[in-house]
Amino acid sequence: MRVGVLSWDRPWIWLLPLTAMLVAFTIMPLLYNIWLSFHEYHTFSRELRWVGGANWAQLVADARMWEALGITLFYFAVTLTVQVILGMAIALLLDDDEIGFGFLRTLLTLTLVVPPAIAGMMFLLIEDPEFGVLTYVLEQLGLLDKTTPILATASTAIWGVMLVDIWQWTPFMVLIFLAGLRSLPPEPYEAAMLDGASAFTVFRRITLPLMQKVIAVAVLIRGIDIFRMFDYVFVMTSGGPGTSTYTLSLYSWQQTFSFIKWGYGATLSLFTLLIILIVANLFIWVAKVRW
Amino acid sequence: MMVRSKSSRVLRSVVAWGTVLLFAFPLYYWLTVAFKDGKEIFNYPPQVWSFSPTVRNFEEIFGISLGFGFGEQREVLPGGGNWRMAPRLWDSIVIAVLSTGIAVSIATLASYALSRMEFAGRHHFVSWVLSTRMMPPVAVAIPVFFIYKELSLLDTYTGVILIHALMNLPLAVLLMKSFFDDIPHEIDESGMIDGASRFLIFRRIILPMVKGGAAATAVLCFIFSWTEFLFVLTLTQTGLKTVPVVSSTFVTSTGTAWGNMAALGAAAMLPAFLFILLVQKHLVRGLTLGSVKQ
Amino acid sequence: MRDSDRKFYRAKIVDDYVRGRLDRRSFLKAASALGLGAGLFGTGMARPRPSFAASGTPTLEPSADVLAWVKEVSKPFAGTTLRLATESTPPSNAINSQLKKYFEEASGMTVEIEVLPLEQVLQKLTLDIASQLGTYDLYYIDQSWAASVSRDVFDPREQMAEKPDLAMPDYNMDDFLPALVDGIAKYEDRWVGVPYDIPIFIMQYRKDIYDKMGFKAPETLEEYYEQAKAITEEMGPNMFGSTGQMKSGHYSLECDWTAWLWGHGGSIFTPDRKFSGNDEAGLAAMEYWDRLKTTMPPGVTGWTWDGQGQSVAQGVAATMMSWGEFFPYFDDPNATKVSGLMEAARCPKPKALRTVSETGFGEIPGVGHQGGSSLAVSRNSKAPDAAWIFMQWATCYDTQVLITALGGGTGPTRESVYDDERIIANRRVGAGTTRHLDVVRETIAKDMGSEPDLPQWAELSNDTIPVRLGKYFAGEYSSAKEAMDDIAQATDKIVSAG
Repeated sequence: MRVGVLSWDRPWIWLLPLTAMLVAFTIMPLLYNIWLSFHEYHTFSRELRWVGGANWAQLVADARMWEALGITLFYFAVTLTVQVILGMAIALLLDDDEIGFGFLRTLLTLTLVVPPAIAGMMFLLIEDPEFGVLTYVLEQLGLLDKTTPILATASTAIWGVMLVDIWQWTPFMVLIFLAGLRSLPPEPYEAAMLDGASAFTVFRRITLPLMQKVIAVAVLIRGIDIFRMFDYVFVMTSGGPGTSTYTLSLYSWQQTFSFIKWGYGATLSLFTLLIILIVANLFIWVAKVRW
Repeated sequence: MMVRSKSSRVLRSVVAWGTVLLFAFPLYYWLTVAFKDGKEIFNYPPQVWSFSPTVRNFEEIFGISLGFGFGEQREVLPGGGNWRMAPRLWDSIVIAVLSTGIAVSIATLASYALSRMEFAGRHHFVSWVLSTRMMPPVAVAIPVFFIYKELSLLDTYTGVILIHALMNLPLAVLLMKSFFDDIPHEIDESGMIDGASRFLIFRRIILPMVKGGAAATAVLCFIFSWTEFLFVLTLTQTGLKTVPVVSSTFVTSTGTAWGNMAALGAAAMLPAFLFILLVQKHLVRGLTLGSVKQ
Repeated sequence: MRDSDRKFYRAKIVDDYVRGRLDRRSFLKAASALGLGAGLFGTGMARPRPSFAASGTPTLEPSADVLAWVKEVSKPFAGTTLRLATESTPPSNAINSQLKKYFEEASGMTVEIEVLPLEQVLQKLTLDIASQLGTYDLYYIDQSWAASVSRDVFDPREQMAEKPDLAMPDYNMDDFLPALVDGIAKYEDRWVGVPYDIPIFIMQYRKDIYDKMGFKAPETLEEYYEQAKAITEEMGPNMFGSTGQMKSGHYSLECDWTAWLWGHGGSIFTPDRKFSGNDEAGLAAMEYWDRLKTTMPPGVTGWTWDGQGQSVAQGVAATMMSWGEFFPYFDDPNATKVSGLMEAARCPKPKALRTVSETGFGEIPGVGHQGGSSLAVSRNSKAPDAAWIFMQWATCYDTQVLITALGGGTGPTRESVYDDERIIANRRVGAGTTRHLDVVRETIAKDMGSEPDLPQWAELSNDTIPVRLGKYFAGEYSSAKEAMDDIAQATDKIVSAG
């Protein structure tokens, strides 16, 4: 048997295509962004000019950025928490073989095939202050006054956006949790039944610990995406009213594409990446996720 | 499982149906928009159940006549030549299918090694793979644009397929690795004793065992490619466009063509839904993320 | 029947027939009563082709002379592919869906048009310029970008002079409305393409409601407010006197603001290039706007022009002082509840008006805010000559007539198009009507307001100003003065940074 580097017995050949792709498309862009963050596109001369640490200095001093970071973190925390709890609840609910539950599980996955940009438009219509169904229902229930449109009131706009995220991605959590629930070993449950444990005790003492890794990975995958969320705010609120739904990703998109400040846009992106890296690794460490 | 009374089973069914239908409601509503005329889309109070359905929106975006008496087209369509939507659906399908194929293949190969072979820094390698998903898309889009410009990959299927495959790799690797982890190492080892090569064991024995998991992974990759917006927007021009990007063209200077947009959205849901149906049973069984092995 | 009535009626029945509201038998009966004769439409034919649809007798086909010229001059360029990224506007849609094929057939070239929402067009254009890629042979340039791309496009006057053999006979640059050349195409002393389309603020109101209330189209801004207030009080809570496009952080909010600002004798900049929206006139405008807002549906702060247009189209608001482009849409009976009920008028007179010399950066105060765009050949294009041929064709007299008549109903940028019989024949009630165009023409000549030209304008008009105005309407400032001072500070900082 050959034991060369390119042998099937060594990992390298298996990992080669993956590594090549990732290096080409993520290491290069990363280096490029780092380089870019020390330059700025000059609209008049049409060239990138060296600006030293100016972009980073601007970042630290930029009140708008800190506000966007706060909004992003708030959005991230609420949306993720709701998706995990609601996702788990629905997964437990659907983890049964009653008639029609297979259909329900399929129906639920439908929200995932809607492109987020279109989902944003859908909810823009549903939450329209004048013609929206949700507005109408809330109004009839006396929960909403017409003078406070959901997406145009500073205190409610972010909830209006979160609603889409929760609507679209809770089923994703359900899917993953359901798969986890279905693969749990039956023995602990049989033992618990003999002990006459309550449903809640069973969930807390058996299901939750067994599902720990599934939940951790789901939180990680979804958390990363929520942090980078762009489509919903872009389509629904443009960050408004005022700056109340201005997330980091929207801010860096705008700097990059609308104002052609590629250097500052890259700096913002790198900063976002840095925060995700820190939060994610903290989480991996705390939740003791081992690959 | 515990024995439950009939009333609690009924209650559970009712709650389950209620919850899922609540989630399905926006989709239903969007579907009604696709079948409404402009003036019925914007109505106070909103019309949810009763409206006079029309197929006009579908006729307009596909440039066809469905023979319900709406043979004529508007003189100028709101989306500017947007009645040629069929090719855009095709673009979406080609890109989603091929990028999914590439992502799942590469991830399967890599995950097998990550699951079976010990090497220094393996844990870090997986973390690194995951971290590539953390990059904000905006930060990837511009450099990739310039790389593609040099490689003449702008506005090509290859270009979009590659970037979509890439975007899905971290998730695919994580999922596939968890499926391999679920298969006991003894199976490989017994094969090795028989003198079969690693690759042969992988192909003949292990691969068939992760088929379900691969299908579940494929669904997720397909969905993420199907719905991706920013890369397609930045890396294509007139040659191809996927559904999410092309739907934004219904946002015009004289208002948004809601009916047409909804019709396209509804039409685009169909292929993706069929794909899900095909692998449905793997989807719920498959996404276990290695829960059994702690 | 008077001749003009006959013409109107004829256009209407043809329209009804084409839209399937009139069966063939009744149509032929009505047509023969008008002396149209079945022969005109051919007894055996099914339905007239869409291109005939919008008007009665005058055929809407490109002129043979123009196509002959295209054919002749394009010979060396056959097989060329031209690309253009454009916002989804009526002219672009008309060209893309109806007219492009004639050009392609005559020239042997292929024209690929990428239709996108406005902000995405800017993104495409910017990347193309920065990378010098030359993907797009032609640029669609919103007036607010003119300053930043002026050096990346050819000045059409130079192209005309340098390539006499490629110049279209009778193209006539002088036909473009001078106000539009000034407001849209010109940056410093260069032409950044030629004016391509012209959405402009006009007063659009519900004739039926105004009649019922005994109102006439408002003469002054104050009268407009009084009418809007009366309508809201009389017919509320499901009918409002006015409406707006006031979505925070969106360009449309800035557009509304400028109209009120200019209408109260204010300006965005002073001659020494400082922001002046916080001066006395600017605050008077804010005070007026606050009052007027109480007559708008509460949802206005969530709407761009789409929601604004819908509020009128679906009978929620009785008036809108906004884009005239919406007028032809309001008349579409399939899409709206107000077909035939709308009337167009000039905007109310401004309280005071600054002159151009009292403002900065070439800003032109006027209540008729214009949001036009120009079409130009990119300097990065690999086939600038072929693109120039297309551009002349797309903006020539004949093509503009077709664009306007084929249901776009958009305001033409050429003076003579307004007088074309095919445009006049389209003044019937129905989708794509042109019955508002006299108002548009007069507004361009007398009321037009135009935003300043400076490279930072894209950022100021899409972010700095509308985000803070959005904050103001969300109640995050204690007073209009505070909001305006904040905008002033932020704007001056961006402007002075260069």
